Order: sequence, then structure tokens, then C-alpha cells
Amino acid sequence: MQTILHPFLLYGLCVLGAIGVALASPRERVAPFIIGAIIAAGAFGGLLIGLGVVAVRQGAGNLPSWGFYIFSFMALLSALRVITHQRPIYAALWFILTIVSSCGLYVLLQAEFMAFALVIVYGGAILITYLFVIMLATDGPSEEAVEAMSAYDRSSREPVAATFAGFVLLAVLTTLLAGGSMKLGMNPALAATDKNLAVMPEKVERALREAGLLTQGERVARRERADGKSELALDATIDGGSLQIIGADGKTARTLDKAQWPEALRLDNTQRVAFELMEANPGAIEIAGVILLMAMVGAVVLARKKVELDEAAKVEAMQRAREQSELGREAPFVQPATGGNN
Amino acid sequence: MDALSLASTWTLAQGPLPMPMAGITLYHYLVVASALFVLGLIGFLTRRNLIVMFLCTELMFQGAGVALIAFGRFHLNHTGEAFLVFVLTVAAAEAALALALVVLLFRRKETLDASAWGALKG
Repeated sequence: MQTILHPFLLYGLCVLGAIGVALASPRERVAPFIIGAIIAAGAFGGLLIGLGVVAVRQGAGNLPSWGFYIFSFMALLSALRVITHQRPIYAALWFILTIVSSCGLYVLLQAEFMAFALVIVYGGAILITYLFVIMLATDGPSEEAVEAMSAYDRSSREPVAATFAGFVLLAVLTTLLAGGSMKLGMNPALAATDKNLAVMPEKVERALREAGLLTQGERVARRERADGKSELALDATIDGGSLQIIGADGKTARTLDKAQWPEALRLDNTQRVAFELMEANPGAIEIAGVILLMAMVGAVVLARKKVELDEAAKVEAMQRAREQSELGREAPFVQPATGGNN
Repeated sequence: MDALSLASTWTLAQGPLPMPMAGITLYHYLVVASALFVLGLIGFLTRRNLIVMFLCTELMFQGAGVALIAFGRFHLNHTGEAFLVFVLTVAAAEAALALALVVLLFRRKETLDASAWGALKG
């Protein structure tokens, strides 16, 4: 079995992380959160430092930039806080930090479009939905006292067993991924090229004119596509490519290699993802739209549904209302048994 | 350090664009992705609040997303990013439907405790 991190280090850090997470889980009586969090942070930090040492040993060419270590550490710590915080609101807010730091990782991986889409969709839309629902579906006073929180937020369900299972999974995953990622080779046939520039003749000619590479009267050669439309005669490989340029007299032709192309001629990440989505899987986009529409219809139907309180909850609600009125306060608004109006 | 090389250390994960990440650095991102996934899994198993349980599934989605993007960068294509668009779609649909259900469940039992619905296990 090939390993990247020393097995002793990897499994030791997994055990340490498991102990830390198990200690940091919410508990009814004493919650040694600080101790657990420090141990878990040490384990994650050790894992990242170990990875850094491995990268340095492999040679500077392979070193991920320092942003990787910072963003990963922030993502892991805030994920730890998401699963251990006793108040759901704060768990949701820590989750936003997880998203932002994993978007940092996406930017390092040159996936700028997905990074910003994730900040907008996750941080902006989905998390706001979560916050709304948390505020809608939380009862009781929100004083700072621990007793004000519901019992199910204050304690966790079998933290030791769950953490054990989780970190056994992590140890197995990291071991297998180490073996697999060393064997994995890159397939040049699958790599994205600049071939999509061929269907953007205006962009190409404008960029070449502005860079002075295409003088008056010259034009870029075209060719016929299988579907009858014309496209630019462009040859693209992973690390190169060339355009044919026809001179003003319509006969002389010269070749413009990728090394001479101006910066404006590059396809940026958004354009590449757009071609990947729209050209390679247009049907899937339609299906995604239908899924979103069905989810919207479903949410509207669910929200309009009548709710019958069950017997125990009804008794409880009445009792609460009685207690409140005995205390001389105004009776709280009790959810009517027939909410909704459909 | 001139502007170009500074820019390339910031914007490029590893090496100039035609070169994929070396195998070692793909592993870095995969370790972080699996740690995120496992933390989400532990949260899903241990927490008893329905809303926080759904939040933990989103954490698992994040782990999967980091792995997808890292593999896409390794193979120098954009399939991983395109797939993440659909993951995002599913996450949004799931959040809308699951949270509507959670609100319904809360209105019925006045609690968010997952074990309050233990009767469903039959």
C-alpha cells in the first residue's frame, strides 16, 4: 500500500481528532468544549502541517500556495463549530464561514465562477432560508441562560460512537485516496482546450484587431462545420493552438500560433463552464430547472397545508397558555388547530 | 518577484496551466474534502435538532464540492464545476423542501427534536 503521510502520523492524528470532536460535542452537564476544540484544532493543524512537509519534500514545484493551508484550517474549524454549537442560529452563521473559506479553496483551484456562485447561492440564499426557518421554528424565551435552550440542542446523541465511526471512515478514506491519487494519471484527451473560440468569430477578430495582429483587409480563415454553419479554422491542443489568417489579397495565408495570441483572446473560467454546461449537457440544465420548479411548487403546497396539533402538544399548549395568563401576562398566541386557508 | 510570477502563485493552484497538479497536491485537497465530509457526517449523527441535521448535510455537500473541483483541476477540464452546478441545484431544492417539512413538523409537535418522531420507525 502506497502512503503519502506516514501511517503513524495519519492514524495518530485521526485518533486525536476523534477525541477532540467527541469532547467538543454538546453535553447536558459539563461541556469540555474548549479542551475538545483545542485538541481537534491541533489534530487538523497537524494534518495540514504534515501535508505541507510532504509537499516540501516533493519539491517546491508541487507546493500548494499558503492560501490552501489557511483556507483549509478555517473551513475545518468552522465546520467543527457548526456541528458543536448549541444554538442553531450560530451553527448556521459558522456554516457561512465554512462556505467562504471553501470558496477560497475554489479560487485557488481556478474555479472562480463556482466560488462566486457558491457565495451568492449558499451564503446569500440557502443560509438565509435556514435562518428564517430557525427563527420561525424556535420556541421559548431567548435569554442567555443555558436553561432557555431546548434540551435537544443542549445534548448530543451518542457522540462517542458517532465520532468513532466518522474518524474510522476518515482514516480509511485518506489511506485509500493516497494510494489512488498516486496511481491516477492525467488523460490529455480529456483536458479542456481553447477549441470553443472557433464559434466566437467576432470576439477573436476584435481581440486580434485591438492587439494589432490583424490589419485592415485581413480576416481569419473559416471552415464549414458538420451542421452547415461556419466556424473559425482553429486548431487547439492543451498547450498550443493556431489560427489561419488570410491576407488582404485573399490568397496569402499566415499562421498565428497561440504563443502570439493576445491576453484578451483567452477563454475565462466563466466562459469555459458555460460551454461545458450548455454544449456538453444541455438536457441536464433543463432537468435542473424542472427540479427547482418542482421544489418551489412543493414548498408552496407544504406551507399551505393544514396542521392538526396532536393530543400531547395540544394539552401542552393549553397548559402553557394557562400558566402565562396566571402570571398576569397576556396569553401568548397559540397556533390555531386549523392554520392555513385552503 | 515580478507581477506575473506573483499573480501566478496566487491564481494558479500549481504550476503553469498546461501542467496538471502533481498527484501529491491533489491528495491535499482530497484530505480536506474528506475531513469536511466526515465532520458533516458526525454532526448529522450526533445532533438532535432537525434543522442542524440538515445543515450538516450541506456540510457534506461542501466536502463533495471541494473534491469535485480538485479533480476537475487535476484533469484540466470543467466537468467537476458543471457537476457542482447540479449539486447546488439539488442543495437548493433540498433546503426549500426539507425546511418546509421541518416547519410543518414543528407546528404539529412544537419541537424540533428528531427523536420526537421515533414513532415513524414502526
